[in-house]
Amino acid sequence: MTAPKVAVLFGFGINCDHETAAVFNLVGGAAERVHVNHFISGERSMEEFQILAVPGGFSFGDHLGSGRLMGNRMRFALRDQLHAFVAAGKPIIGICNGFQVLVKTGLLPGPNAPLPDFVQRASLTLNDSGRYEDRWVTLEFDDNSPCIWTKGMTRMDCPVRHGEGKFVMPSTTDFDALAAGHQLTVRYVDPATEVGSGMTDEPLPFPLSPNGSMRNIAGVCDATGLVFGLMPHPEAVYAKWLHPDHTRNTAPGPEHSEALGAWEGEGLQMFRNAVEYVKTNL
Amino acid sequence: MVVTRVEVTPKKGPGMRDVRGDVVRRQLAADHNISVADVRSIVGFLIKSEIDSGAIALRVHDLFADPIIEDGATNTLLLSNKEHFPTCPSAVVTVGFKAGVTDNPGTAASDGFQTIFPASQNASISTYITYAFFGLPEDVEVEWLAKTLHNNLIQRALVADQNTCTAGQWPAIEYTEKPPQEFEAPLHVDMEIPDQDLIDLSETGLLALNLEEMQTIQAHYRDEDVRAARIAAGIVADAPTDVELECLAQTWSEHCKHKIFASKIHHIDTETGEDSIIDSIFKTYIMKPTHDMQNEVDWLLSVFHDNSGVIAWDDDWSVCMKAETHNSPSALDPYGGAMTGIVGVNRDILGTGLGARPIANTDVFCFGPPDWEGDLPDNLFHPSRVFRGVHAGVRVGGNESGIPTVNGAIVFDDRYIGKPLVYCGTIGIMPRRLPDGRESHIKTPVSGDIVYMVGGKVGYDGIHGATFSSLELTEESPSSAVQIGDPITQKKMVDMVLEARDAGLITCITDNGAGGLSSSIGEMAEYTNGCEIDLAKVPLKQAGLSAWEILVSESQERMTIAVKAEDCAAFDALADLHEVEATPVATFTDTGIFHVKYEAATVAYLPIEFLHDGVPQLQLESEWVSPKVEAFVPPQAANHADLMLRMLARPNIASKETWVRQYDHEVIAQTAIKPFVGVKRDGPGDAGLIAPIHGDPHGLVISCGIAPRYSDIDAGAMAAASIDEAVRNAVCAGVDVDKIAGLDNFCWPDSIESVKTPDGRFKLAQLVRANRELERVCRAYRLPCVSGKDSMKNDYGTGEKKISIPPTLLFSLFGDHPDVRFTATSDLKQPGDRLYLVGRSHDELGASEISFMLKESGEASGVGGTPPQLEHPERNLAMYRALSTAIQTGLIQTAHDCSEGGVGVAVAEMCIGGRLGATIDLDGTGHESLWARLWGESLGRFVVAVKPEKEHAFLAWMSGQPTTFLGEAVEGPNLTICDGYDEILTADVEAMVASWQGALDMTGGVE
Repeated sequence: MTAPKVAVLFGFGINCDHETAAVFNLVGGAAERVHVNHFISGERSMEEFQILAVPGGFSFGDHLGSGRLMGNRMRFALRDQLHAFVAAGKPIIGICNGFQVLVKTGLLPGPNAPLPDFVQRASLTLNDSGRYEDRWVTLEFDDNSPCIWTKGMTRMDCPVRHGEGKFVMPSTTDFDALAAGHQLTVRYVDPATEVGSGMTDEPLPFPLSPNGSMRNIAGVCDATGLVFGLMPHPEAVYAKWLHPDHTRNTAPGPEHSEALGAWEGEGLQMFRNAVEYVKTNL
Repeated sequence: MVVTRVEVTPKKGPGMRDVRGDVVRRQLAADHNISVADVRSIVGFLIKSEIDSGAIALRVHDLFADPIIEDGATNTLLLSNKEHFPTCPSAVVTVGFKAGVTDNPGTAASDGFQTIFPASQNASISTYITYAFFGLPEDVEVEWLAKTLHNNLIQRALVADQNTCTAGQWPAIEYTEKPPQEFEAPLHVDMEIPDQDLIDLSETGLLALNLEEMQTIQAHYRDEDVRAARIAAGIVADAPTDVELECLAQTWSEHCKHKIFASKIHHIDTETGEDSIIDSIFKTYIMKPTHDMQNEVDWLLSVFHDNSGVIAWDDDWSVCMKAETHNSPSALDPYGGAMTGIVGVNRDILGTGLGARPIANTDVFCFGPPDWEGDLPDNLFHPSRVFRGVHAGVRVGGNESGIPTVNGAIVFDDRYIGKPLVYCGTIGIMPRRLPDGRESHIKTPVSGDIVYMVGGKVGYDGIHGATFSSLELTEESPSSAVQIGDPITQKKMVDMVLEARDAGLITCITDNGAGGLSSSIGEMAEYTNGCEIDLAKVPLKQAGLSAWEILVSESQERMTIAVKAEDCAAFDALADLHEVEATPVATFTDTGIFHVKYEAATVAYLPIEFLHDGVPQLQLESEWVSPKVEAFVPPQAANHADLMLRMLARPNIASKETWVRQYDHEVIAQTAIKPFVGVKRDGPGDAGLIAPIHGDPHGLVISCGIAPRYSDIDAGAMAAASIDEAVRNAVCAGVDVDKIAGLDNFCWPDSIESVKTPDGRFKLAQLVRANRELERVCRAYRLPCVSGKDSMKNDYGTGEKKISIPPTLLFSLFGDHPDVRFTATSDLKQPGDRLYLVGRSHDELGASEISFMLKESGEASGVGGTPPQLEHPERNLAMYRALSTAIQTGLIQTAHDCSEGGVGVAVAEMCIGGRLGATIDLDGTGHESLWARLWGESLGRFVVAVKPEKEHAFLAWMSGQPTTFLGEAVEGPNLTICDGYDEILTADVEAMVASWQGALDMTGGVE
């Protein structure tokens, strides 16, 4: 099929739209930056696209809580379009501020059902440190997660850049339910642990967990595995030259890729997964 | 309209925290050693709208309070609610904004309110925050507490002490707005008055014009031709209107016209006997060399005349850079002043050519010592508070704008207590050609184009910023010169403007900074030789601004953009899409007149030529006498290992990581060298390196140099050292030394001899010497200065209370990098790697960091001596080229320049970054004293590490360059430095890490 069309939202303080569009294009997507108001006004329709990305940034300055005001615009003005998008089985990703937006619209973690109900069940709140920070963390993925975005990914280094990344839910039973469905897709881990055994429910100390997230959660998916959000920035490690260890010749990543030769970074696979999923399934 | 109060507080529960309260608690501990048991926070919203409180109450959790993590309540004070606050606090402080001050959360809340209540058209929301203190020590007064938590220039605070709290009387901030003012018709200003009255008129009106300038204006209105033209235009003939006088004062301000750099200087050097005339420092030492270089290369696209300097980066893209200072506003309100500094310089980039996209920021700050315990002059904040506020302002401004901060520095000196220096720089990128074929670095306005004001509205904020910054800071400095930025309003505007550019809708663009519309439209009107403005069309934040206020207000987030009449509809549509304010307010003409109307009435009618070229050239006196500085004599006996740990903890050397990490340095996914590098990502980075085109490793290096200490001996040496440091840092990343460009940002104390400044001749001579060195070094390095700025009144107070900053040059550099995959960082990589010193050490301990440290501790009595010199810069250039190309070809991946603390500190930092030991022998690094070779700060030096298998090739490559073997990286825990058979010091690497990282970590830790 032709290159899957990716809508990368921008406007109102979203600011990772350029690089988010670029990484989809590097893996065979046809990404376009679309202003939120283009969808709201009806000038453009989400129906034109097969993938929706809500990039990082500071939508509305994160005033009144990160992602909240953008989440409201989407919850109230784009509800039907989003519902139809999810119902059509099309993948959605929210990164950093985009994850916060998806949580506050209620798309993540969503109900224990295939279709969204736009009820907020979790939140992302101020880091325990009280500080916005840009630092690299180690992530591990749940092999058994239904998430289509993370297939085949085990562990990666990735930058976080946020002040409100602490994932919280009201009770442990909420977490247990998500865990049972393998929706706690990606978590902060201690890089000293064995790959595959780093995930723990016990809160890791700062800065292994940069924000004090409950159960060290970095990202979750919905019940279908199509809607996924995470605080770290996989798009910011699309190339090995963006990894802090590249001058030490130890930046991890595939040995070879069509996109970047020997220099593909670990983050690109996430976007390739979605593009390939669409090519295969839609 | 009714006012509804909504209060929100974090829910408490397992794993839940009140982080805002925690931050206040930690800062009280870190800055004031005050231990408080708990601090709780409440955010308040005062909503003035047509919606009744009952309806709002039903939607509190849709907008104001997060349903998962916050509790909210309507029309009540949460402190009275025992469910949320079961115990009584010992003190409460609540802080809101003064009426008319930018309230960003309030603006966002109003926007969100509209989403929930689409029927509500005119809702206006203001916000406040309340802190409740539990277990506050009894000797802490609540008024003092309030003072540390707010700035009374822009905010108001209410308090409750223990007794008031016990009585349950909580402070409640009420909704207020600025009372509307009556529009006042423009006044005529009588200039036919005695000279002394002219001077008084300038001073009381904050015009910052001198007598000769006032007389020049007076003469203009006596000119018969001028009077005849004014009668024809229907404006008062023989006197300026207040609009005209204010407009001239802004345009002719030191801030805008750089009158000292443009002055005619009579310079005497008492040592050489020189007695000469310099006709403009700027033209002689900065512009001329750059223009000479422009004749020899094809990549200098636009220098000096635009908002930033532009170079061709490759065939498809050009890049530009600008740096500014925001010192005076940052002294009065560190947070707002610094934030408007960074978002302001972003607009300079947006206003370059037909619009460039800001892609990286740099921030360099100069503060008083954060642990200062001495006296503080009235009206000045403690340096730690300035530091926190400035950092927060730049952090919020940069992060929310989505622009990574890739490079910077923080410098400390007692004298910056009087005036902090806040340098903000931005790098931009634009396509060489737009889709319509126009070259993007060239503005193309013609007479008849419509001039829009885009972005925000105009208010009282920021009136007189340009003239204010041209005066010294006093206790009476006006609060109207202070404002807070709104990065999101600006971000929306940036998105919109770049789309308008690519659609070919823009013919001319510039930012509204100092001087507001008078400067922005005034400058652009030079292109077509005229404009006609209607101030009544300008959208206002508050009704009633008079004409001159509208013209000179420096309200933030505004660009001035020219659009062809036929493109206006498309331009308006883009503004609507992005929800950006865009209003046509003027038309370009070719009448030769800066013509300002308010509705039908002409309120200003100034010839463009007089406005821009009418200011008389200053005539200034300069006299150089070498300052007498007691020599630095190192102590006879010294424990160098102990000195090493102390040096690493010096604020000028210590790690700034906890601060820098709070800047987003990786947004845009381009940053190939981070500010902190190494195995634990906590060693010092030398330069920023970005690859801004996704998928392409073509790079751009960004670096800076700053060395104000040397000004105590010779400001010329200071300038040379600053430039050399910027170049060295860039070389460490492997810059292409044949394609580098620089920015000179001078911050000086007042250098005009007067009663207030009796030593003006000396300070001006410092400026002359600094600029002569700038020319000499830049010519030798083939380093054109493409943009720059000066801030010439960095003094506090007068007489004995006067504090003048040390003359300070920030030199910023941006340069080409062929491929970011081949670069170097300062961290040691592997045990066994071979360490070399590249460059030569000299006996240059004058004004060194070690001399200052030992003087402060009483172990030495002076800091005098020879400061670092740059005797043969052309030789350095050859060495830099060899080293840079060695990095570009992958011969070495480890390089670090020697600056503060010399070879000793450089090697220590390399050990820290790699968490490796090293064994170094200084024997062979010259014949100077051990002190000079270990701690001296001679320029043109690097420590590099090379893998053993590449050592041979590296040495061959460096053949002919001074390259001296130092030693090896080792597995063990120690850095050992010897001098031949003498062991000089052994220092444990983890101990060095602790010293280096502990000194400036003012975060109070993370529990």
